[in-house]
Amino acid sequence: MIGSVSFDLGEGEIVSIVGPSGCGKTTLLNLICGLLPPTAGSVLWHGRELTGVPPRVGYMLQKDLLLPWRTAVQNVTLGLQVRQVGGRERLATAQSLLDRLGLGEFADYYPSALSGGMRQRVALARTLASDPEVLLFDEPFSALDFQTKILIERDTARLVRGERRSLLLITHDVEEAVSLSDRVIVLSHRPCTVVSQHHIDLPGDRTDMMAMREQPEFARYVRKIWTELDIR
Amino acid sequence: MTLPATLPAPSRTSRLARWWSRPGTERQRIGRRSMLQVALCQLVLLGIVLGLWEWGTQGAGVNAFLFGSPSVIAAQLMAMFSDGSVWVDARVTGLETLGGFVLGNLLGTALGLSLWFSRFLSRVVQPFVLALGSVPIVALAPIAIIWFGTGFASKLAMATLSVVVVALVVAYKGALGVDPDQINLMRSLGANRWQIFRLLVLPASLTDIFAGLKLTVGFALVGAIVGEFMSSSEGLGHAIFKAGSLYAISKVFAALTVTVVLALVLSAVVSRVERALLPWRHDLN
Repeated sequence: MIGSVSFDLGEGEIVSIVGPSGCGKTTLLNLICGLLPPTAGSVLWHGRELTGVPPRVGYMLQKDLLLPWRTAVQNVTLGLQVRQVGGRERLATAQSLLDRLGLGEFADYYPSALSGGMRQRVALARTLASDPEVLLFDEPFSALDFQTKILIERDTARLVRGERRSLLLITHDVEEAVSLSDRVIVLSHRPCTVVSQHHIDLPGDRTDMMAMREQPEFARYVRKIWTELDIR
Repeated sequence: MTLPATLPAPSRTSRLARWWSRPGTERQRIGRRSMLQVALCQLVLLGIVLGLWEWGTQGAGVNAFLFGSPSVIAAQLMAMFSDGSVWVDARVTGLETLGGFVLGNLLGTALGLSLWFSRFLSRVVQPFVLALGSVPIVALAPIAIIWFGTGFASKLAMATLSVVVVALVVAYKGALGVDPDQINLMRSLGANRWQIFRLLVLPASLTDIFAGLKLTVGFALVGAIVGEFMSSSEGLGHAIFKAGSLYAISKVFAALTVTVVLALVLSAVVSRVERALLPWRHDLN
């Protein structure tokens, strides 16, 4: 399904991958985080070939995948519990993350009582709670309404850029890719290959998604990438 | 809309009145009113059926010897209460049912969930489970009597056997039904197989397992009663069988009534436990 694709993800860099539907973006992500073994080729992690799931990776999908029997804060602690971090410490970490995402007072709510945007924020907190160095996001914001999406993108940008994590974002949304990323990689139809790479160089506060959209350069990037996407 | 005004003033001391005047939102009060209406209709329906039955056997051409009559059934029930036999029989059958229910579900659920760990093993045992599940439970009764005697143990075995296969299949289906993306998420968090099982698969299967529990309460009771039919000296099944052989139809109905009450009590207990153990399921309340 995937042809020849090769790219790097640097430390502290936000890279988006855009491509037509069904070109294998999700498969690519599963390869990168070691959930699927590649049939050919390899994934290098800090220069060494990857076997299994790498240790400090955060994974987020369009589905929030919150566990319905755990409250918001308990969902955030999931990764820490897997790593056998002590109970008090993991609650403190989770609570502070929820506070930073504006969900502090909803910590003890079950997911069924939260809105879609809030649930995805809890999922973001869960992803960040285990302090990953690399984040792999598969269209995590695509089911959200525009306002919610802008806000959660802003929070993501702050939390990722502020702590020098690397983020690989797979998305359909060209505007999201341009406003959020340092680099956008465009993939082709199956068998997918890299069509082009764009270094996004926008001035100003990179965590302000609306300001990014107002830049004259922004529209130029979006148009160029849209053309290259070859939507038929 | 002022609800209390539409009703006759309830007496100050009645429990119903206190229940009725509990504080609550308009919606809760409307909910309570419709609950009361449903309960009232149920009582009226029961009254009509029993009334017609009684009227029929009091000279409207229905043979009371063949069909029993509510008044005689009530008298039989009173007699069972006054000589204490109802407690003995209900206790015996209740213990057999409960024992088989617990044992069968523990065994079946443990086996079903453990099959999650090995797709290979589950494929190996699948036809055997299906074969065992398709055996009518009544057909196992003679073997149970021969192996475990005519006492408590054979009834326990019958009740357990009625439960175990269902519990196994339900638990296995529940474990298999876990979203693969959720398993991938656990893997990306670095969870090993045991952690995935404990933190994800087990709690995710609880909804199915509890559905199975509600189902198997009844199955366990059937197993215990069938065991008592085959050979026994006490229990509700014994009472029904003995009364039936003597053509004491009203006595059969009286023992049946107690059996139904026992079944309702047992399923109510299961529902209570479910609600306590699955606090995130708002739909259960």
